[in-house]
Amino acid sequence: MIELALISGFAAASVRVATPLLLAAIGETITEKSGVLNLGIEGAMLAGALAAAVGAISLGPLGGVAFAVAAGMATSAIFAAVAVGARADQIITGTAVTLGMTGLTGLGARLAFGDAGAGLTIPTLPVLPIPGLAAIPVIGPAFFSQSVMSYVAFAAIAWATWLLFRTRWGLEVRAAGESAAAARAMGVPVTRRRVVATVIGGAFAGLAGATLVLSQVGTFTEKMTAGRGFIAIAIVVLGRWHPIGAGLAALLFGAATALQYTFQASGSAVPYQLFQALPYLLALAVLAVAVGREKGPAGLAK
Amino acid sequence: MLTLSHISKSFGATLALDDVSFDAAAGEVHALLGENGAGKSTLVAIAAGRMPADRGESRVVSRERTPYSPDTSDDSRPTTRLSLVAQHFTSIPAFTVAENIALAAGWQESGKALGVRARETIARIGLPLDAEAVVETLSVQLRQRLEIVKAMASDPQILLLDEPTAVLAPREVTELLAMVRAFAARGGAVVFISHKLPEVFAVADRVTVLRQGRVTLTGRVAEQTPRSLALAMIGEAPAQPERVAVTPGGTRVHADGLLLRPERGGTPVGPITMECMAGEIVGIAAIEGNGQRELLRAMAGLPEITRVDGTLRVSGAVGFVPEDRTTEGIIPEFSLTENFVLGRVRERWMDWGLLAADCDLALAEYDVRGGNAASAASALSGGNQQKLIFARVLSRQPDVLVAEDPTRGLDLHAAAAIHARLRSAAANGAAVIVHSSDLDEILDLADRVLVMANGKLVTVPAGASRDVVGDAMLGLPTP
Repeated sequence: MIELALISGFAAASVRVATPLLLAAIGETITEKSGVLNLGIEGAMLAGALAAAVGAISLGPLGGVAFAVAAGMATSAIFAAVAVGARADQIITGTAVTLGMTGLTGLGARLAFGDAGAGLTIPTLPVLPIPGLAAIPVIGPAFFSQSVMSYVAFAAIAWATWLLFRTRWGLEVRAAGESAAAARAMGVPVTRRRVVATVIGGAFAGLAGATLVLSQVGTFTEKMTAGRGFIAIAIVVLGRWHPIGAGLAALLFGAATALQYTFQASGSAVPYQLFQALPYLLALAVLAVAVGREKGPAGLAK
Repeated sequence: MLTLSHISKSFGATLALDDVSFDAAAGEVHALLGENGAGKSTLVAIAAGRMPADRGESRVVSRERTPYSPDTSDDSRPTTRLSLVAQHFTSIPAFTVAENIALAAGWQESGKALGVRARETIARIGLPLDAEAVVETLSVQLRQRLEIVKAMASDPQILLLDEPTAVLAPREVTELLAMVRAFAARGGAVVFISHKLPEVFAVADRVTVLRQGRVTLTGRVAEQTPRSLALAMIGEAPAQPERVAVTPGGTRVHADGLLLRPERGGTPVGPITMECMAGEIVGIAAIEGNGQRELLRAMAGLPEITRVDGTLRVSGAVGFVPEDRTTEGIIPEFSLTENFVLGRVRERWMDWGLLAADCDLALAEYDVRGGNAASAASALSGGNQQKLIFARVLSRQPDVLVAEDPTRGLDLHAAAAIHARLRSAAANGAAVIVHSSDLDEILDLADRVLVMANGKLVTVPAGASRDVVGDAMLGLPTP
């Protein structure tokens, strides 16, 4: 029975940790399908986190979510204006947006909360066990006894799949990502599709930031995303640029992180920093080995 | 000098060459004729040692050739110098002409010494080129010329030319053919690949025809007629449909004093004043880079072309067939259905089952072979990709059809099918504007021929001869 409780706890932690990664990765999947590589989603996530904290304090948790989405969209809109509109280098622009947001959110946090920080005064999103289903062993705690944001993330997998593969807009976005020249010759407004796909990606990054603040940590701290935006980009690759693939890949990363907690809790003699590095090492390994020369959209970052 | 005996080569399940023997002697030009995919390029690649044969042997001047790859050292190269001008350009765009020649010929010079040697070599070969020009600034014709200069720079004894005239104007073709004759007269051996019969009659001593990897004819050119060669190339000649006289309807495209800014900047194209009526085919004859691309793309409503001045009125729905199939016409990674539907269907939600059924119907109607609705477009041959593009564009029944070089690189059968589509589109009331790099095609297809040179429309009298139109394309005064 102790083992079952341990496994249940591990599974629940995996999904909880995977949720922000999944949200950011779904958004980035949509963005990359349009041919845009947005390294600025780390920054958009951070902006979303700060906005969630500010919004939640004045308007409650849902207000926080709304603020976060708006902040993520605004951050990605800046990226889109420079990298898609003005056709600047996407890698450099994305890096600049992330670095810039790291500084701005630090400054913003000090202005909003003073030197003491936000503290634990932020109203958070509730955990919503689904009646009946939550009682199933292992699966219940993992998938049916989570924060609202996890359910949003599950639904987003289906929504993004439908959007990309069942709508004309999705077809045009994918065409823009494979071959901008061909898409243009067929009358697709490539720049518009890419900008919108990038801003949608930003909305999801904002949601991911809100998840960190409103259903996990409960406060805002500087640089709290800690590279999750970049992990999300690795998840997009591992998920082969498909929302369902991104879902599975995010769970894998969630599990790696949850394993880290479990190891730390077990009081092992191994330095905990090693375990903390686990998801990042996994990202490197995935990019180098499992994915290899996996092909993304042919026009990505061009 | 060059002897290939009983060569066979297959790629996967496709037999590209089947027991082919071929030779070229010193002092002769031996033409290699055949449709696209007949195996001509494979044969010269084997002759040049770029590709191993599955069976058979390749000898140069009775000395056994050691196979080499481009990266083996100079020592292993055969002592008889052989140069191949491949169909695809092999120059480095960011390098100068002189640097590209040095790379190809294995020169050690650099700086001033290189410039001097390059200029001397260019003068000796007799095809003028600016040695200091950066290749990406050159026109396609000059790039093709550079490929030939590169091949000649190493002073070869055997010259293999793979469709060297595809992008040239008539006058430039004449220049090139003269150079080829002079090379043979000095004792060189030339293998000249083409699918244009007049060139073969103008330059070659002997001719070998390939069809689907087999030799169907070999003999002296003097003993052949265009009919005998065409029959050997394609078996039965495709029937040319009768020209139906159409009465043009209302004006669909009207340009008046139109000035366009080219994609990459530079002097504006125009002013252009022209019109195209419903039911007529207007052919635009021009050598690449003379403004026809801007004009056609402006008429097709593409966003990369901006209007500087003048008016352009295009009434009705426009269908556009871009010149480069694989980068603009289709998305190779997408399925045939996705390619068929893009830019065509207006629905917001995609019912793929229904659309695939639509696509299958269109594939049958337009005779697209080699795949079904679910196949990737990259699996289709060039001709079938082009038919798919026509299926997409024409199934919307456009009022105006703009086609850029719609048969480039297609074999005669596929080209005939495309011609029939263009004619029937016009017969159904569309205004058709077509550009082709092949002057004969324009003269054959168009109801009216307009010539563009240096960004301006040149007036040629109705029914002008091929030579008059050719000179106008080069910007020479028309008589």
